[in-house]
Amino acid sequence: MEDLIRRLEKKSFQIRNEMLDMCIKAGTGHVTSSLSCIDIIVTLYYGNILRYDPKNPNWKERDRFILSKGQASPALYTVLADIGYFEKENLDIFAQKNGKFGVHLQHDVPGAEITSGSLGHGFGIAAGIALGAKIDRDLYLVFTLLGDGECYEGSIWETAMFAGYNRLNNLIAIIDRNYLCVTDFTENLIELEPMEDKWKSFGWETVRLDGHSFKDLLKVFSDVRSRKRAKPLVIIADTIKGRGIESLCFNPLWHGLAPKDDMVDVCKLELERYRRYGEE
Amino acid sequence: MEKNNKTQRDAFWDRIYEIAKINRDIIIISADMGAPALDKIRRELPSQFINVGIAEQNAITLAAGLTMTGKKVFAYAIAPFITLRCLEQIRVECSIMNLPITIVGVGGGFGYEDSGPTHHIIEDIAILRSMPNIMINNITDIVMARAFADISCSLRQPNYIRLDRQVLPIIYTEENNFDKGLSVIRKGKDFYIISTGCMTSIAKDISEELSKEQKNIGLIDLYTLPINENELIETIKEAKKVITIEEHFLPGGFGSAICEVLMDNNINISVKRIGLSPKIGYSYVYGGRDEIRKHYGTDKASMIKQIKGFLNEY
Repeated sequence: MEDLIRRLEKKSFQIRNEMLDMCIKAGTGHVTSSLSCIDIIVTLYYGNILRYDPKNPNWKERDRFILSKGQASPALYTVLADIGYFEKENLDIFAQKNGKFGVHLQHDVPGAEITSGSLGHGFGIAAGIALGAKIDRDLYLVFTLLGDGECYEGSIWETAMFAGYNRLNNLIAIIDRNYLCVTDFTENLIELEPMEDKWKSFGWETVRLDGHSFKDLLKVFSDVRSRKRAKPLVIIADTIKGRGIESLCFNPLWHGLAPKDDMVDVCKLELERYRRYGEE
Repeated sequence: MEKNNKTQRDAFWDRIYEIAKINRDIIIISADMGAPALDKIRRELPSQFINVGIAEQNAITLAAGLTMTGKKVFAYAIAPFITLRCLEQIRVECSIMNLPITIVGVGGGFGYEDSGPTHHIIEDIAILRSMPNIMINNITDIVMARAFADISCSLRQPNYIRLDRQVLPIIYTEENNFDKGLSVIRKGKDFYIISTGCMTSIAKDISEELSKEQKNIGLIDLYTLPINENELIETIKEAKKVITIEEHFLPGGFGSAICEVLMDNNINISVKRIGLSPKIGYSYVYGGRDEIRKHYGTDKASMIKQIKGFLNEY
């Protein structure tokens, strides 16, 4: 377990670094939204949680990972390239001329599964896939990652009600609870809390954890395949938008941006400091 | 000719029921809408029927997910709600992702007559035809409704089945083939009416009536958009004047689509579009569909007057 956690820490730094370079080169991309959920995505793909085959992206028995918060595509693309879904060179031309993918998630990229960017869609698609798996008695799991700001969309609650009532216990929703939206902190906009109560009342089992703790993430994820629950599971993962680069944290103005000019060196330096802090 | 006492809704779902018994990958998602055939599916094929409640956005996203697992999904509700309430879901999942979901809306045009403008759908053709990949099938009669149940099952793109709510006359026979997207109901020469959906049976009466006055006027029923341009042009290329008829707002609608084809192909034919004027706007007119049509000037008598005036113009 400790070894795995060390590996995940290293990997998450590598993915952060590559993602940051990709967005800096492109001059665009939602860097802070990606930084808040990278540890979650890294745990799923490198922590022996998801079943997948990069050489066969349409493998029928694969677990589905549906990135409902499609603005975090830089995080997922970097991971997909790293594990071999496509050549890493594609990251160099992210959101640029001749690039195969851009700022928001695109369904025709191997491993991406869906087009996302408009919020409140991927979660419903994930529920549809989970329902299809139940009808066909397929055993794969469906994981979906939502933004907390995405939970303002009414469609999220239409699906939540449906999935809870229909006991889709093959569906695992993870909410990247970074407390920030586009213009302000969520609790300044319209309070999202109490999150657990909301989801529980819609028929979901809830877990709340530190979304940057590999230990906590592994503990919860490693148990999901056992189907000990009859209900769908929502993991409310408390995170920090911009995690790893201090200057980008706790400021809504960094939403949707890539660092430019003087900020490039500042961000690189702070990310390196974050890595060293992790190693200590 | 078959005498009709059946709605397009029942014809369509009866056929889907027959197909669903054999093809277990057929799934119907209803946003709390019923039909006798759907009751049979719910009873006999419970795993193939899902009532999501009044939640159209979820209906489309669930349909998308199910489609990704290999299901053939029909998402069904009253037409304005299963198109416009979840329009952005249709845009992303159907148009952008090109998932072959069949959207089934009942109540095209003023089908829900006295229910008022929230239940009328008179903008959907303009809106949905602006989105790539989506085929629109505006159903004329129960024979066509049955045929498009089969066609929808084999489509590899999304489509929108626009059903009328009321019992309408039967135009077609089982031998008709609907692959071309349009059918010549009455062959003409100098003049053609091109109509769609519920307006075709009225247009048929009009063309017959005008023919008695020796206006050699043909009739085309055009039910699939995007328009089969070659077929349309081939049929009307000798015509001098064309009248389009739709129960839909004129801007961007059915008549507009035909004008685009003519202009894009440099075909110089005078066109008179008959439909709903946005200047009149939405209607709170009660007393039946014909009263609403009179309000817009799209009842039979008003249309005959307009067409005669147009044909007599130089």
